[in-house]
This record gives sequence, structure tokens and C-alpha cells, in this order.
Amino acid sequence: MHELSIALSLVDLGIEEAERRGVLVVAVHVRLGALSGVVRDALELSYQVAAEGTPLEHSRLVIQETAGTDLELVALEVANEHSSAID
Amino acid sequence: MSTHPRLIEVRQNILKKNDIVARALRDRFREMGIHVISLVSSPGSGKTMLLEKTLARLRNECKVAALVGDLATENDAVRLSRAGVPVRQITTGTICHLEAAMIEKSLEQWIDPDLDILFIENVGNLVCPSAYDLGESIRVVLLSITEGEDKPLKYPTIFNTADVAVITKVDLTAAVEFDFNAAHRNIESVRPGMRVLELSARTGQGMEDWFQLLR
Repeated sequence: MHELSIALSLVDLGIEEAERRGVLVVAVHVRLGALSGVVRDALELSYQVAAEGTPLEHSRLVIQETAGTDLELVALEVANEHSSAID
Repeated sequence: MSTHPRLIEVRQNILKKNDIVARALRDRFREMGIHVISLVSSPGSGKTMLLEKTLARLRNECKVAALVGDLATENDAVRLSRAGVPVRQITTGTICHLEAAMIEKSLEQWIDPDLDILFIENVGNLVCPSAYDLGESIRVVLLSITEGEDKPLKYPTIFNTADVAVITKVDLTAAVEFDFNAAHRNIESVRPGMRVLELSARTGQGMEDWFQLLR
């Protein structure tokens, strides 16, 4: 089971991307391929553990399942009034 | 109240950091002229035995070294160092796979710039190592005939990320009634065109094709 390692990498990446944009994240959207070798349930559980005590602590994990090998942070869902990013 | 949440597109591989380290390692290996071969398989499919025989044979022809990953113990490193080549153990603790950063760390002040071939034996696991690029030139997945012909169908991800499949322990064919045709068919269905070798490290059968691949 390596979902905790994956979740820690995801949380690190999410925090980095959020800080760079100065945004408050309410949800993290990922794409998870059937051939990624990562189990959805285990990732969801691990995400809660990995996010604890970080700026992503209260964020939701939104998983879109695909048929490929995807293991991708697709988008950050952010609270509008905190946003300073132009995209 | 955040009544209008919006989406900011990021589109980054979750393992981006590992990929960056792996890419740097691959560039470094290329510059140094080191061919890096990683071995992945389930526990007990013969990675260490194959490496033992390989190191013993190649040490007379070129400069070889090996990194071996396990959750605990230095048993494999001790076993492999009997071949008289540099071997270093990476104990991962509770982590079920090797990551590029572990390889980078192990190589500090250890790697011989004149090295020709570096072998990396991953932790015995057919799931977790698949997503982690280690900067290797070739990833070899082992399948021992005692495991059954359907392993590639059960673990398609690892076969998908590997370059070569090696069917090991073929000296036990009669005892386990392994169906080679089915095994080849199954590998072909998850990774069309994949190169497949059959060998027994114990008897030496098929080992010449393996050495050919390493040259």
C-alpha cells in the first residue's frame, strides 16, 4: 500500500500550488487512472491523514476516475474572496 | 462565505517531484556512461538469485555495482556482496517501494564514475514500485513460473511500466506445469510487443540471452 506516499506528495504539491497563487483551497481535484496502481478508497483515507495539520486540512478530495495511467492534480477549487490569482 | 468557489487548473503529475529527481539521475547516468537496470517483481521470484549470478559473471567483463531495496534487513546486500562487487542496501522502513530520492541519496560519495552497469533491485512488490521512475535505462519485471501464468493480468500496471519481462525458475517447469504460451499471451495482452526472456539462474538455462540484453 503506497497510497499514503502518494497522498503526501499530493498534499505537498497542492500546498505549493496554492501558496504560489495565494489562494485558499476548498477542494483538490485529481484524475486517477485505473492503471495508476493507486486504489481510490485507500487514497481517500490517506488524504485525510496527509492533509491533517496543513493548510489543506479541511479541503475535500474530488476524484475523477479514468481508464489510463493518470495520477494527476488537475485543479484546485478555491474560495473566491481569498483569491488573488489571475488565470 | 465562499459562495462561488472556482477552479484553478493545475494539471501536474502528483509524483512530479520524483519525476524531476529521476530525470536528473537519468541525465547524470547518461553523462557518466552508466547503464542502469532496475528489477521489479513480487517477493521470492528470484531477483536476488538472478543478480547474484549476473554480478559474478559480469565482474570479469566490466565494472558493476548494485543497490538493493528492502523494508528491513541487509540480507540481500550481504548475499550479493559475495560476488565481490560494490553493493549497497537501501532499507526503506515501512515504505513499499524505492523512490528516485533514495537512489540519489545512496549514490552520494559512493558511485564510481567508471562504473559500466548499475543494478537496482526494488522492494519485492508488484504494485507500489510501478509509479516511481528511478532514472533507470531499463526496467525489468520478473515473473517466476511458480507464481502462475496470470500474474500479468492481475498486475497490469507494473508490466505496463516495464521494458522487458523475464520468466524465471524455468528449471521447475515440470513440477509446476507452467503454461508458457498462456504466459506470453497474457504479457502480450497487457504490454503488446514487450520483450520476454525465459531463464533459470540456478541452472544457467537462458542466461546468455539475458547477458546479451545487458551489453
